[in-house]
Amino acid sequence: MNEDPANHFEDELRRRLRPVNAPEGFTDRLMAALPAQQKPVVVPFTPRVRPSSHPVGIPAALAASLLVAVLFGVRVADHRALVAEQTEQRKGLEASRKLMQALHVTSQKLDLAFEAVNNPPTAGDEENRS
Amino acid sequence: MNARIGFVIAALVLSGPAWAAPRGQLQIPEFAALSEKASESVTVTFDAQMLGMAARFLSNTDPEQAKAKKLVSSLTGIYVRNYSFDTDYAYPKGDIEGVRRQLNAPGWNRIVGVVSRKENSNVEVFVLVDGEKAQGLAIIASEPREFTIVNIVGNIDFEQLQDLEGNFGVPELDIETPKKPAAPAKKPASGEK
Repeated sequence: MNEDPANHFEDELRRRLRPVNAPEGFTDRLMAALPAQQKPVVVPFTPRVRPSSHPVGIPAALAASLLVAVLFGVRVADHRALVAEQTEQRKGLEASRKLMQALHVTSQKLDLAFEAVNNPPTAGDEENRS
Repeated sequence: MNARIGFVIAALVLSGPAWAAPRGQLQIPEFAALSEKASESVTVTFDAQMLGMAARFLSNTDPEQAKAKKLVSSLTGIYVRNYSFDTDYAYPKGDIEGVRRQLNAPGWNRIVGVVSRKENSNVEVFVLVDGEKAQGLAIIASEPREFTIVNIVGNIDFEQLQDLEGNFGVPELDIETPKKPAAPAKKPASGEK
């Protein structure tokens, strides 16, 4: 009677796990216990919006950056145009001032020439008049 | 082929001054060094483009500027060098002579020449006449402490020039319009050159 305890355990396990038939009338009793007509359960479903910013955030950020860049560019262009206009106006005014100065000098010298021609000189003053 | 290209380049180089400067325009030195020595200076170098820009900014309501605007509308260049000094003859006479020599070219007529030994001053007025139209005006005026070179290029309307003089308080210029038959009032002067 020297039995191996391991074999005994295995035999016991097989015996316990062997398929057995259901008791007589089990199926009928189970079916009788179920409700006659089972109503479907309606589970309310509301899709949850994930607060993740990943899908929407990057395009929005890009669009915002683009908008800022465009607005900044427009502002810079406007500023440059304004500066260019002011520069041109300053140059134009300076040019017109110099033009008037040049005409004044011209007039003064013409005045000098024709004054000398129109007013006869005193004796020995003018050497050559034409 | 190379000889032909060389000929074309040589022709362009030789004819350079002719197409580079409009008729009536003198080669006036910049006198850059004199600006520092001068007590007062006016240096104006206006080609047609600059004249156009300057004219745009002249007022139409100011009578003086309005007349100037009308005068410069037919001009293609105004070149003025005017320097005043604190000492006598601080300017290079040679450069002035260089400009005067250019006025010996055909077409230029000296209409006024005044030399005052008492004041050591010299004023000459030249006109470049092309056909019936004056295409250029040059004034060379020198005094011990001041010299002026004026060169006006373009279709010069003498009536407008007279108007300009009157406008700036200068006596009426006794130059007849070339179209008028009585023009040779100053013609003998041109023969003095």
